[in-house]
Amino acid sequence: MTTSILNELKTAVIEGDSEKSIEFAKKALESNIPPLDAITKGLAKGVKEVGDSFSAGEVFLVELVMAGDAMKAGMSVLLPVIKESKTEITSAGKVMIGTVAGDIHSIGKDIVSTLLEADGFEVLNVGEDVSSEAFVEKVKEHKPDVLGLSSLLTATMPAQKDVIEKLKEAGLRGDIKVIIGGAPTTQEWSDEIEADGWAGDAVDAVRLVKKLVGT
Amino acid sequence: MYKILSRGEILAVHTAAMEVLERVGVVIQHDKALKVLADAGAIVDDKTKAVKIPEYLLQDALQKSPRRHKLMARDPKYNLIIGDGESYFTNAFGAHYTIDLETGERRLSTIKDLEEFTLLADYFPTVDYIKPHILPQDVPKTIWEQEMALAMFKSAEKHLSLVALTPEGWRDVIEMAKIYAGGEEEFIKKSSIIDTGFNNVPPLKYTKEIIDMILECAKYKIPFDISTGLLSSASGPVTLAGTIVQGIAENHAIVVLTQLMGPGTPIMWGSCATIMDQRFGTAAYGSPENGLIHAAFCQMAHYYGLPYYGAAGVIDSKVPDQQAAYENMMNALIATMSGADVVHDAVYGIVEAGVTASYEMFAISNDICGAIKRVSKGINITPETLAVDLIATVGHDKNHLNSPDALRFTKKHLLNEQWHPLISNRTSRPEWEKRGSKTIEEVAREKTKEILSTHKIEPLDKGMETAMRKIIKAREKKTKSS
Repeated sequence: MTTSILNELKTAVIEGDSEKSIEFAKKALESNIPPLDAITKGLAKGVKEVGDSFSAGEVFLVELVMAGDAMKAGMSVLLPVIKESKTEITSAGKVMIGTVAGDIHSIGKDIVSTLLEADGFEVLNVGEDVSSEAFVEKVKEHKPDVLGLSSLLTATMPAQKDVIEKLKEAGLRGDIKVIIGGAPTTQEWSDEIEADGWAGDAVDAVRLVKKLVGT
Repeated sequence: MYKILSRGEILAVHTAAMEVLERVGVVIQHDKALKVLADAGAIVDDKTKAVKIPEYLLQDALQKSPRRHKLMARDPKYNLIIGDGESYFTNAFGAHYTIDLETGERRLSTIKDLEEFTLLADYFPTVDYIKPHILPQDVPKTIWEQEMALAMFKSAEKHLSLVALTPEGWRDVIEMAKIYAGGEEEFIKKSSIIDTGFNNVPPLKYTKEIIDMILECAKYKIPFDISTGLLSSASGPVTLAGTIVQGIAENHAIVVLTQLMGPGTPIMWGSCATIMDQRFGTAAYGSPENGLIHAAFCQMAHYYGLPYYGAAGVIDSKVPDQQAAYENMMNALIATMSGADVVHDAVYGIVEAGVTASYEMFAISNDICGAIKRVSKGINITPETLAVDLIATVGHDKNHLNSPDALRFTKKHLLNEQWHPLISNRTSRPEWEKRGSKTIEEVAREKTKEILSTHKIEPLDKGMETAMRKIIKAREKKTKSS
């Protein structure tokens, strides 16, 4: 029974079926499966499989995003119960990601978020056109392991540098790894502004984050 | 000519695009622009900054938007009339990296690369006007557009399209263009001595900075291209039909705004849209869907009476190889055969979709585009070219190499009838072997080096250069003190 429910949770995610994910998350609770197990042995397994297949070029982005949504749907049932029981969820690490001030591009950053979630990271996607000050405030508040700064415009690249400088001024730079990305950015720009790394695509970004948090 | 949409389909696309403009609207993050649009009759949501534009506003704007306009060059023999029925080609835009001509290594692009690619574009007959081929990485970002403009002013006599990235930078470039035109008054008369281009942020959004720069163009009637940058299945619908509909709405918002602010400002109505490859999350420009999108957009532009500007010919391949050549040929050819007024990115001296400049690819693409231009010219049918009398004279016993009449006829018509590539190989095999059995990439490299060392242009007036330098220095000082 337990195995079959866990398998159904995994399948629901792989199929990108949010309704099924919610249905079996509820069944898991009814059958007294520990909610953490429902996540790690069910939902997360599914999303990991889809994420790995995407990295190998074997499934489409639309399937990856839908798998991510199905996982979140199942989690919405399981998380309140976990919080009540005051159990800690262990994630691979906490990543905050956003697009810098003056730039409202979202797609690249959202793909990176989805892939990171598929790999077990807790991702705080803070949106677009985020000012340097807001980044600093949010870093203070959420204490992520890694901060990802996206810029799709040559004109907004200097804002990536600005965030890093503001983090230094606030004395927070030592506590987190800062990575950058976006079409006009380069490894050389990353070195120049003293970021901890640059990635040229979403799969590479996940590799970079894993390297930086040492998983 | 290739016409992909039927009359009924054109109307269906138009109706759908109008519904998007009127029901969904376009976000314009610029209060002054929103006020102008609201005063004209558009419905503005002050909170979301979305503006819904009724069709009559568009029709008014289309009346004011030129069907054809001139692009002027330093040397007037290179002046062009966009919208005169020809397809004009530009080079590629904006590489951050360059494959070094000497070492073959991929390295960061420099201002010297920009000068060299601009000089090559001046030389290659397929390039009708010149785009900023390189975004140099060895120049401070605060004076980026200005240094790029100067490098281009110095390196070509053809019409130049300059880069507008920030409102301050663009205003400086306009000041430099005034010097280039021979003074403020001269510039007012011939502000089409430069042009520029803009993309939106899909779906259906424009930032404040882009609108600021567009308003600056409207003020001086500087021509610009407005091109939707949507990616099908990411920032726009997966269906190509839906892609066209959204792109039209995005472009039209700017046509309306521009013609309200500066009636008669020339707009090249365009598309940089393509599909996203769902396997990798990357933009796929060398895809057949890209060609289809251009074909449909071009027909819609002409339905609206606007010149079409298509970024067709972009290469996804990472090196100048077989994939690069077919991608470049396929979509530049489709856009040309569809009647695009400007085929931007046709002469594509870049690989990796806009990222890495390749000198070799530029020379190869010059041959590809030469062939496309020949195809576009078609077959000239006149009583003389039908050559019945000549065929009778040559008869059955002679041929066209041993009959004096035929030889004269061939000599007269040869250059009009036959196009000759610059570097593609058509020799006999023994001759090819004698010349070193070289691949086109090797020949392209040698030819490029030769052009760079021999092609000379009239140098930019020293006084002009000094005056432009002053503008750059002033900006440097201002940014340092702030």
